[in-house]
Amino acid sequence: MNWFYASLQAVLNGLLTGALYALIGMGMALIFGVMRIVNFTHGAFLMLGMYASYIFFQKTGINPYMGFVVSGAVLFVIGYAVYMGLLRRIPGQVDFMVILLTLGLALIITDGVQLIFGADYHQINLPLLAKNFRIGSQISLNAPWLVSFAIALVLAVALYFVVTHTMFGRAARAIAQNPYPSPLMGINVNQVQAISFGIGAAAAGIAGALLLPVFYLYPAVGSQFELKSFVMVVLGGMGSIQGAAIAGLVLGVVENLTSLYWGNEWALAVDFVIFILVLSLKPSGIFGSQRA
Amino acid sequence: MKNLQFVFAALFFLLSLTVPLFIHSDYTLQILFRLFLFAALGLAWNLVGGYAGQLSLGHAAYFGVGAYGLALLAKLGISPWLAVLLGVVLAVISAAIIGSVSFRLRGPYFALCTIAFAEVLRLIAKNLPDVTGGDVGTQVPLLFTQSSIKSFYISGVLLTALAFVLTAWIERSKFGYYLMAIREDEDTAMSVGINTARVKLWSLLISAAITAIGGALYASLFLFIVPDQVMSIDMSVEIAIVPMLGGAGTLFGPVIGSMVLETASEIFKNVFEEAHLLIYGVLVVVVVLFLPEGIVGTVTNKLRFFKKAPAAPFGAPVPVTPEEEAERTAFRP
Amino acid sequence: MSLLEAKHVSKRFGGLKAINDISFAVNPAEITFIVGPNGAGKTTLFNLITGVFHPDAGAIYFHDQDITKLTPDQAAKLGIGRTFQIVKPLRNLTVLENVMLGAFLRTSSPSKAEAAATQVLKFLQMEKFLHLPARGMGLPMLKRLEIARALATHPKLILLDEVVAGLPTPEAIKLAMLLKRLPEWGISAIGGIEHVMQVVMRIADRVIVIDHGTLIAEGKPEDVVHRPEVIEAYLGPKYKEIAL
Repeated sequence: MNWFYASLQAVLNGLLTGALYALIGMGMALIFGVMRIVNFTHGAFLMLGMYASYIFFQKTGINPYMGFVVSGAVLFVIGYAVYMGLLRRIPGQVDFMVILLTLGLALIITDGVQLIFGADYHQINLPLLAKNFRIGSQISLNAPWLVSFAIALVLAVALYFVVTHTMFGRAARAIAQNPYPSPLMGINVNQVQAISFGIGAAAAGIAGALLLPVFYLYPAVGSQFELKSFVMVVLGGMGSIQGAAIAGLVLGVVENLTSLYWGNEWALAVDFVIFILVLSLKPSGIFGSQRA
Repeated sequence: MKNLQFVFAALFFLLSLTVPLFIHSDYTLQILFRLFLFAALGLAWNLVGGYAGQLSLGHAAYFGVGAYGLALLAKLGISPWLAVLLGVVLAVISAAIIGSVSFRLRGPYFALCTIAFAEVLRLIAKNLPDVTGGDVGTQVPLLFTQSSIKSFYISGVLLTALAFVLTAWIERSKFGYYLMAIREDEDTAMSVGINTARVKLWSLLISAAITAIGGALYASLFLFIVPDQVMSIDMSVEIAIVPMLGGAGTLFGPVIGSMVLETASEIFKNVFEEAHLLIYGVLVVVVVLFLPEGIVGTVTNKLRFFKKAPAAPFGAPVPVTPEEEAERTAFRP
Repeated sequence: MSLLEAKHVSKRFGGLKAINDISFAVNPAEITFIVGPNGAGKTTLFNLITGVFHPDAGAIYFHDQDITKLTPDQAAKLGIGRTFQIVKPLRNLTVLENVMLGAFLRTSSPSKAEAAATQVLKFLQMEKFLHLPARGMGLPMLKRLEIARALATHPKLILLDEVVAGLPTPEAIKLAMLLKRLPEWGISAIGGIEHVMQVVMRIADRVIVIDHGTLIAEGKPEDVVHRPEVIEAYLGPKYKEIAL
């Protein structure tokens, strides 16, 4: 029965990690859905969220489980400004050029942070880290992951409702379906895309804040999560935010099971193999039919 | 005009070959080697990314296979130059596999797929320490025993010249036109009988071969490689940025791009130290916003449009003389 | 012997029957027009013939060879050229280079391709534009560019999808007069057209009318336009009486 408990533990841990992945992936999916671009700045945004929350914690002592609000707000403003100041100005918004611009921006942000804060690893210490929540004698869940899971879940559901039930969401979905006639229906495409980019960045930033207590912080920390968010967006069907959310949970579980049975170092490789298989066999994704 | 370009290019490469006669600083030669190496890598990428318009962000895969091919095959006792050759063969085989999957996808899907393959290769190299040395890295044999850095520099120039001549030839051939047709519109390309899948794959195979030679040279110069250095996404991005900065789909673009980028990064290296990629980022943003067709592309477009004003207003049918009409009647397609 | 023959071809997209059991044949050196209202299935039919899509049922023969499962590039190699309804020029290439791409199907030499392309462009009265980039062109020239590129592949059959749509009538008729000469060189043409009937009447040898993916009439242009079912398809049932 040991293997059963071990697997169950891995699945549960996977769901806890997966909720954070889901948040990152939903942000990416929202941006992709509304703007048809792959945002290579996503990892840098996540890293900025971690730093924002880290600095906030250092200055005020307020832990990231409340401080994430600050990260979210800061990243929303940054995302909105990046869209209005840079992305909007790309002539013709050719996707080649948009990819290039977000890549360049990611280099600037990552290396800029490194220039200011150095390449050192940082970590914060919360008393919560030592607490575990036990179910029976075999299963134990780490408290900080449980808290971040709860927050991520609430935010993911909220984001889903924003996209499906608000005016903004309706406008965003209209643009995702076809951007050309949208202005004719009174939709300010630039405004909606800027807000979407802001929300997408905020989602990455909040996920970064929630990861801070359980992760090391350094300037390049975002890239691994960015790569995972590509996987989620493809798995979920490009542009489907609920698809990306489910893909996030699945990815978390798959990674934890891979770590358990094959070794931690193969987790990311398995992500990519799944990614390539889905891209080559069913490029429309497997978890989402409806687009954001 | 075209011929003048080639005279200029020939002079440039010949002069570059004489540089070691009057520059003896190893440090300077190493920078110049890097400049030519990335010019060659940029030219190679340009075939796929520039002419065929397929935004590959996974060229580190071929670079890495070339580097590791040399290192690992030499460890088996194969002579270094034969190992380079076999490494190129391995890179071409990887390109065939990667291309046959990823070229079925278009736009951002393609770019993501190339990243994924490069990452899988990097992770395999990282996670098989018994074979590749894993994260610790592995030793690479020296390819040149005599006055090493000068030989590396010369081989860098020669590789660039090779890639340049190949590109120039392709640009004027049917194959080159086919690549450009695919970039402009794949449906149209197929409608005139182009087997787009095969043409794209060929461009990638050539590109991968040159990139793998570059990888082997780079690895041999540093004598030691780790996966996160030669197969990282940063390497892929750097290979792609060089030609895009200079002008994707232009012959001189990658060479100019490498000159600008490597010079800038050398100047700013002392200012930014570890954060030397910052300058890459700034240059990329500047290019996208202000020179969307790269340095060479933007300049030549300006020239072309000033030189030739349209003979008749666009769209209006041309008035015809009786002689022309007669010629037209004689036409049989 | 017919050049192209479609036998009971059907194609559906999801729940929509785009083409429903259509059969027809095109003879060598003949201009056939497929006429039908917007959405009748003309472009789908062209895409089936050129291998962009494959039929769910039925078969298509070209020179008695089954081409049902061919890809677009293979169709072009066999001698089926096409133009696109929504013009697809290679924008950053010059007019000449656009047409050379067609000519490259039959030669590997750039100079021969250039000569062949120039010849085709002269035929279409575009020699003044040879070295201009395609992206600056107006619609009339882009429509001609589509035809030139397809002609340069030396097709035996050319599919002209809405080739005069959006053109001013004099220009449309002028172009039609050029196209009328295609059969002289042994090129058959299938034109797809929505409403420019002056053109159809002048140059078509035969007309096929389709509506909602179904073939509703076939015959000489002057006969077909007066048939009640055709008028109904275009104007609605109310106007059927006019024909009688």
